[in-house]
Amino acid sequence: MLDLAYKNIMRQRTRTILTAMGILIGIGAIVALGSIAEGIDAMVQSGLELTAGKITVMEKDAGFFGIMGELTDEDLEVVEGVGGIKDIVPILFYMEGMVMMQGPEWVAIGIDPAKGEYFIGENAEMEDGRMIEEGESGVVALGNSIAERYNVEVGDFWTIKDDDFEIVGVIEKTDITDIDTSIMVNFDDLMDVTDSDTYQMIYVIPDDVKDTERIAEEIEDASERLDAMTTKEMARQASQIVDQIRIFTFAIGAIAALVGGLGVMNTMIMAVMERRREIGVMKAIGATNGMVLRQILTESALISLLGGAGGVMLGVVGSFFVSSIFGGGQITAVVTPGLALTGLGFALFLGVVGGLYPARKAAKLDPVVALRYE
Amino acid sequence: MSEYIIDTRDVHKVYNPDMDSELHVLKGINLKVKRGEFIAILGPSGSGKTTLLDVVGCLLKPTSGEILIDGVLTNELDDNELAKIRGKKIGFIFQQYNLIASQTALENVELPMRINGKSKKEAEKRASSLLKLVGLGERMYHRPSQLSGGEQQRVAIARSLANYPKIILADEPTGNLDTKTGKKILETLKELNKKKRYTIVVVTHDHRIGKYASKIINLMDGEII
Repeated sequence: MLDLAYKNIMRQRTRTILTAMGILIGIGAIVALGSIAEGIDAMVQSGLELTAGKITVMEKDAGFFGIMGELTDEDLEVVEGVGGIKDIVPILFYMEGMVMMQGPEWVAIGIDPAKGEYFIGENAEMEDGRMIEEGESGVVALGNSIAERYNVEVGDFWTIKDDDFEIVGVIEKTDITDIDTSIMVNFDDLMDVTDSDTYQMIYVIPDDVKDTERIAEEIEDASERLDAMTTKEMARQASQIVDQIRIFTFAIGAIAALVGGLGVMNTMIMAVMERRREIGVMKAIGATNGMVLRQILTESALISLLGGAGGVMLGVVGSFFVSSIFGGGQITAVVTPGLALTGLGFALFLGVVGGLYPARKAAKLDPVVALRYE
Repeated sequence: MSEYIIDTRDVHKVYNPDMDSELHVLKGINLKVKRGEFIAILGPSGSGKTTLLDVVGCLLKPTSGEILIDGVLTNELDDNELAKIRGKKIGFIFQQYNLIASQTALENVELPMRINGKSKKEAEKRASSLLKLVGLGERMYHRPSQLSGGEQQRVAIARSLANYPKIILADEPTGNLDTKTGKKILETLKELNKKKRYTIVVVTHDHRIGKYASKIINLMDGEII
């Protein structure tokens, strides 16, 4: 029946292609926009690797991952009061050139050089030069993408605010966006340059990983204004946010695709009207109502799937543009197999739903009337 | 098993019952057809002959009375079961040929077999031998628009034979054809009846049918006379 369905829809080639285009645009939008959500998801997931086995302390309600937070040494003392802690690392983030929808041009991360490994992980290798050393001031180490993007190398200088810092090392490319796009600075240096007396984050490393949950709870109990998050909790929050973005982007595309679905319905209603007589013949030579229904539904689904497949391809192309428009190089929009399947699945859904009314109409045609229809 | 392949008992068909436009088309038809017969139903237009054919062909349900096709009482069957009877036991031939325009002659003949669940290969094999039988072996890949009226009607005859039907029902098969072509179609039907022992019922007002049919039934105002 599939060959017959294909033949039937190709009888009105132009109409079929135009109808499929309606679906194509909608599914293209779903896939292209959805690729942002997948890109953010990939970035957040890689970022979470950094916090494994640690507790991240931030100010409550201070925006996405505490970015607006203002933690002080008083907060640090509160954390120090909790038992079972091996190390405490305050971290200051400085974002240069914040642009709406694109994020910052680059991010400087102020951290005590002696404790830098807590941020970049123990296994990060240097591509060139060395890491900032304990007690060292006036120097920076760059993430790989940053060095590449600004075309700088060891020995060059990097300007943060008004001060120049010598670049002493470039970190080898990792699969963690946060490292590749960061500039590592001595915590004290960054506090001075940016004239801050507050910072956004404190890493807490427990003596024993099993105590992670308990320590997080105790920190929250000890202070009204602190949020202490374990990796698990951060992952949960992050996936909530990503899911919201997913739903939002899907909804935008779905509106466009729904209009395409109406187009499919319209085309199939016309096709059934044109082929009344033929449907009468099918019934006279033994086709049941169910067969006629399936035949029309198959045609409708086929048109829609053709559009859906085109839409997925359009979406893949579109995701490259989306990457360059949003995210400023920090987010790589990706079309995951799941996203592609969602696009195709939605196209199929629209085809079946849009075809249902015309298919039922066709199935219910009285053969005697349809056969003598002029 | 019934002695008759078609056996109608006091069949009535009333359109729009109890309304001003009420139309009593069939008034107690008792039609008995034996296996292998070639029956011609003659009557002027409006005599109810097409309605009778539709009722016998399970396209239309009678208002009252019983219809047995090959021993099966069709009155109580649902739409799906009726469709199956049409597909397996009955072959239709129409005045308008009613071929599917987008498909070749071969595909048109395959269609009833495909609907009946036969594989493409099987269907193709039988379809091509049926087209050869009706003399269209050379024109199998032509579409209806590339065929003459007589040729289209031959394709329709081949199609009606696809599923080894028990009965062939033809509604004015020569109505759209010139005298000579019409005669050839009737000869083809006669041959199928004689050589292949198909039971054929033709509804027509073409009196030449008398030469071919084994029995003539006259219909007037919904009654057999």
